[in-house]
Amino acid sequence: MSTSAREHEVLAPRPTIEPGASGDAGAPIQQTNLWKDAWYRYIRNRGAFVAGVVFGMLVLYCFIYPLLSPYDPDKVDFSLSNQSPSLEHLLGTDRFGRDLLTRTALGGQISIGIGFAATLVILLVGVTYGSISGFVGGHLDNGMMRFLDALYGLPYLPFAIITLAIFGTVNFWTMVIALSIATWFTTARIVRGQIITLKENDYVRAAKALGARWYRVLARHLLPNTLGVLIIAIFLELPGVILGEAFLSFIGLGISPPDASWGAMASDGRVVYRTYPYQIIIPSVAIATLVMCANFIADGLRDAFDPRTRET
Amino acid sequence: MTKLIVRRVFWTIPVLLLVILLTFVMMRQISGNPFRRSERAIPAEIQANLEAQYGLDDPWYIQYLRYVKGVATFDLGPSLVLRNQTVNDIVRDHFPKSLELGALAFLFAIVFGIPLGVIAALKANSWLDYFTMFFSNVGFAVPSFLVATLLIYFFSLEWDLGFPTSGWSTWQSKVLPVIALGLGPMAYFARLVRGTMLETLQADYIRTARAKGLRWRRVVGVHVLRNSLIPVVTAAGPLLGFLITGSFVIEQIFAIPGIGRYYVTAVTARDYSVVMGLTVLLSVIIIFANLVVDILYGFLDPRTRDVRT
Repeated sequence: MSTSAREHEVLAPRPTIEPGASGDAGAPIQQTNLWKDAWYRYIRNRGAFVAGVVFGMLVLYCFIYPLLSPYDPDKVDFSLSNQSPSLEHLLGTDRFGRDLLTRTALGGQISIGIGFAATLVILLVGVTYGSISGFVGGHLDNGMMRFLDALYGLPYLPFAIITLAIFGTVNFWTMVIALSIATWFTTARIVRGQIITLKENDYVRAAKALGARWYRVLARHLLPNTLGVLIIAIFLELPGVILGEAFLSFIGLGISPPDASWGAMASDGRVVYRTYPYQIIIPSVAIATLVMCANFIADGLRDAFDPRTRET
Repeated sequence: MTKLIVRRVFWTIPVLLLVILLTFVMMRQISGNPFRRSERAIPAEIQANLEAQYGLDDPWYIQYLRYVKGVATFDLGPSLVLRNQTVNDIVRDHFPKSLELGALAFLFAIVFGIPLGVIAALKANSWLDYFTMFFSNVGFAVPSFLVATLLIYFFSLEWDLGFPTSGWSTWQSKVLPVIALGLGPMAYFARLVRGTMLETLQADYIRTARAKGLRWRRVVGVHVLRNSLIPVVTAAGPLLGFLITGSFVIEQIFAIPGIGRYYVTAVTARDYSVVMGLTVLLSVIIIFANLVVDILYGFLDPRTRDVRT
């Protein structure tokens, strides 16, 4: 029993890309793998690379700057209220005199935190649902996909709002659940499609023929090969979730003061847009930057993992 | 093809039942009873009478069936907060404005988005292409509340071009909301059309068409465009969801008395029968849009007819 398990491990081919196809002529052929290859393709894509760097810097700013900042993001000082951007306050202050450079970072922590947490929940639910559906197949697959078809395209905002009403309170985790409850369908579909394609591969058949149990096939051969798709899915889902949080908070049903999120800050800034337009522009630009970077990263990752889809 | 349509139309019935069931179950999870507010103590007898009046003392499946029957006969029940209004009244008052806003924004997105995508694809990798793509990437990422605010700031206040900052009556009052709501979908269309067109341009039948001496304009008009626009039809479904989400924000900003704005009001007022009714209404619209898209797709792309049996 143990020998057969070892054998199929040896026999199962690792995913490799033919080396030398795009390398310099005459260069020694190096051992490469899917991840290394994807990485090189990714950093060669200028737009995606820049987007990745900007994305990383924005996240770093949000999580590190509040520690370095000389200002307390929650300290109210009306003598400093509504100051336009200056050398002391690079992004100005809000109507409570709070430094916006610090507060935007703090709001970013919430927005990005909710974004990633909700994306993670979406992936978790999507992978579970999609892999069960794709792996078991047959009637169950059919039924589960019909269920997804039925829910496909439903507007997520009303359902997010109802979910928040069910919880009765708005905080980080209820927002995460509300934003993932009607948004996991696409990921589930993608994962299911990937599993179905992979299932027909020779190495999976070989593993099965060698007596590998179903959970071993799933855990060792199918799920690891969906990782590339999942990494892309992170950046495909993130923009929607970040915008969803912003919309919910903006219409006053999401994160509300004194807690900060980019949507809540934009909602605050909206009140004074005539006299102090920078107060709505700053958090909105932060949202737009993050969303745009995520879109570029998703595109770059897709090209990196699957060169066939590369656009001219 | 007829078989496909019939099948697809009948398929919407279980879908509708399921979506209504899910909404119904979710709404029931919201704690509290509309007549059991803390602010106002109601004697137990009156409480019981009220619950009997609205059928809230029946088992949940009876309530569900009654609700389905209501939806089937276009009766969404009474409002729980505004005693003299039914949900139907609210829909009748607010829905046309939302529909108009959504339709105009959709039209805006198509009229400007598709040509932008076409131009970008035909002039691929030129500065025009880069500019268009930059514009659409930004347009797709900027939250609509910033677009709306900037439009108001410049077009109605700073430059005073005669566009009101709020309302929904004259055509001037409709311009800014429509642009604010339609900009995202427009950017989306531009990107989508550019992508599919670049793909189509490389197809063998395009080379054939050129090789047999067809004029370039005709190749683009007949062969490229027609095949590139199929994904646009498919995208219309998800886009509707996008428009609905956007309308919640846009209607709020421009104070347009539509469904999206009323939804938020109803949630805040805990008028759950209205929330439920509007959610079901929006879902039904999307389900029907998906139905239309699927059938259209069957006409446009014959390959899908066999697969979807």
